[in-house]
Amino acid sequence: MSSPGFAVISHLTAGRGQMGTSLSFHLFFAVLGVGLPLMMLTAEGMHLRTGDPVWRALARRWSKVFALLFAVGAASGTIISFELGLLWPRFMAFAGGIIGLPFSLEGAAFFIEAIFVGIYLYGWNRLSPRAHWLAGFPIALSAAASAFFIVTANAWMNVPRGFQLSHGRVTHVNVLAAMFNPAWATETTHMVLGAYLATTFGVAAVYAVGMLRGRRDAYHRKAITVSLAMAAIIAPLQLGVGDLLGRTVAQHQPATLAAIEGVSHTESGAGLNVGGIPLPGHATTVFNVKVPNLLSLLAYDRPNAPVRGLDTFPKVDRTPLAGWTRLSFIGMVGIGTGLVVLSLWYWLRRRRNGPAPEDRYTLLALAAAGPLAFLANELGWLVSELGRQPWVVYGVFRTASAITTASGLGATFAGFTILYLGLSLVTVWGVRRITTGTPDHGHAPALSVA
Amino acid sequence: MRLSDFIAIGLGLALTAYALLAGADFGAGILHLTFTGRPHQQGSLTRTIGPLWEANHVWLIFCITILFSAFPAAFAALGRVLLAPFTLVLMALVVRGVAFGVLSGAAGLERADRLLGRAFGAASVIAPLLFGASAAAVAQVSSAARTASAAPAGGTPLSVPWTGLFAGMVGLLAVALCAHLGAVFMTSRLERAGEMRLVDGFRRRGLQTGTALLGFSVLALLVAAWKAPSVWHRLTTAGLALVVIGLLATVASVISLARRRYSTARGATLLAGGALMWGWFIAQSPHLIGTRLTIDTAAATAPALTALAVAGGLVLIAVLPAFYLLYVLFARPSPEVTE
Repeated sequence: MSSPGFAVISHLTAGRGQMGTSLSFHLFFAVLGVGLPLMMLTAEGMHLRTGDPVWRALARRWSKVFALLFAVGAASGTIISFELGLLWPRFMAFAGGIIGLPFSLEGAAFFIEAIFVGIYLYGWNRLSPRAHWLAGFPIALSAAASAFFIVTANAWMNVPRGFQLSHGRVTHVNVLAAMFNPAWATETTHMVLGAYLATTFGVAAVYAVGMLRGRRDAYHRKAITVSLAMAAIIAPLQLGVGDLLGRTVAQHQPATLAAIEGVSHTESGAGLNVGGIPLPGHATTVFNVKVPNLLSLLAYDRPNAPVRGLDTFPKVDRTPLAGWTRLSFIGMVGIGTGLVVLSLWYWLRRRRNGPAPEDRYTLLALAAAGPLAFLANELGWLVSELGRQPWVVYGVFRTASAITTASGLGATFAGFTILYLGLSLVTVWGVRRITTGTPDHGHAPALSVA
Repeated sequence: MRLSDFIAIGLGLALTAYALLAGADFGAGILHLTFTGRPHQQGSLTRTIGPLWEANHVWLIFCITILFSAFPAAFAALGRVLLAPFTLVLMALVVRGVAFGVLSGAAGLERADRLLGRAFGAASVIAPLLFGASAAAVAQVSSAARTASAAPAGGTPLSVPWTGLFAGMVGLLAVALCAHLGAVFMTSRLERAGEMRLVDGFRRRGLQTGTALLGFSVLALLVAAWKAPSVWHRLTTAGLALVVIGLLATVASVISLARRRYSTARGATLLAGGALMWGWFIAQSPHLIGTRLTIDTAAATAPALTALAVAGGLVLIAVLPAFYLLYVLFARPSPEVTE
């Protein structure tokens, strides 16, 4: 619908671009919004137990960063709730009455979270230490609940259930069946664990950078220890849940499975492509090692089960971005595996030698793991979104049919992209200002973080 | 009454909560702009809304989710016609959130804080201005108003004159209401905290904004009679009682402020704001959009509505006590600097 003279990208691409930019921006803050409260609670709980002021200083510093990130996340989340209607009115007219329930429940969780964020952040001196700590629990719980509810809606887009279509009209709606579709459990768990994992490695990375710059004090050591202790529990779990989610995809989204695993032709006893990096624009892959029968075994529990190839699907039903989907998938799995290895290796070394490994290479690895863990989250979200194309609701509703008929998406996309870039810079500057300012307490020295 | 009517009433209540509570927070931003160069006043504003504004903002998300779950057709239609003003509103909201978040995070460079304060204030003006203009434009949609030109296949073209004179006037009315809410809330809070020196500045602002609110209310009505006859007709028939209540309450608020009765002023302002919102709703009912799309036509299927009603009820049972706790805990602005 955009005026042809200015149409550098198509109307649909502009809409998808804007939605994608908004979601990838929001995802970063959403992930920290889920993960940081858990870390604040842990640190504050350790302070209550041990009386060590370093724990309290950590909790306070993290809560200040959280306050800023929560403000950005709440605003960027509001943008997305509006954009569902502004960019995809036909999708929402179709889906609103089916998946409205989890969105409304998410509203409730967000209410609780916002209320207790106010109480927690501004209540350090108004509540007893114990009551203050307890006020953090509703934040951590409702943040995880928010992620849970939103991702059930995404799971529904991947595996739609709980309605029937007759003559293009939605009938026989069962909102619970829609919400608890076959993918809800694996997708939500994968997302929440992913958020915890990215946050723990993100926090560890910040303090690893601090140590690399010579600030080797109790404050930095404790922060890294608590982060990696949590990571060591979560990372292996995430690997297992990821495998379960792969099975869900195999069962309900065969075209998506073919795209993410790079299966072009149907194979029985399909091998797992390890590596197999596609070159966008080329049919071939590079660095591929094929492990015989492993894909069939992983996806269907039988070494000789057939796996449908991408070429068995009509061309209009194949994701047009199969190469990028595969690339995102490889990136996510590769980083995830690396994080598992890193956390196990850290604790193995620590147990054998006593003190924590603080050599340059360990710290460098930790410093790199933080941003990579966030990247893995973004890539996982890309796998879910690109892998489902050309559908917005898999097998039911095409993305191209969902886009608004209003004109001007090129302008709004450009506007939001510039705005997000600016806001990212301001946010980074704001976080640095908090973390490099004067310490909260005289008796907790060297509080600067990065 | 059908279930969809009850949900529409619930939506109206939630929207009113957003307009009054978040409206006061917008007002704090507007006042922040008018107190540029006066750190005491500005500080008391940011400290007061700091713990509250996020929770107040969630009413908007709550309204949006109710709207698209219970009335997906209305959400889709509004999304189509309000793309431009809502895009600008969203930009204002996110700028405001980031600016306030950074501003209250740590005291830093004076110049940067001044800039952030300006961004926070400007965005606090733009958001209610465009929300008000959009609401007025939606109210003006009638079954007769169709644009022939931009009729997409399968879509229902609506003419939504959000840049018109009536829309602009209602936008200014919304800004004045927010600023007045903010000023009146601050006077009663600061009075209870015993900060009498600061109260006077906010009282003056309250008198100014109250007068502006009254002026824009009368002007908006006059413009409606001229430019939006259908809205004028409905306001002076179905909505007449609420229009009168709203005007009287605004007058009462200004008089109470003049007499330094701050709690009374606060009650009167809330009443005026409530009357304004419900005057709009009553004038529109049983339609969600102008006189075009009815509650019944836009409603989702019965099972979806039932689930939503149950969920919405549970939400309020969980949320309202928490809100109470929040407001009680932060009833007085604290002199301490929050960290």
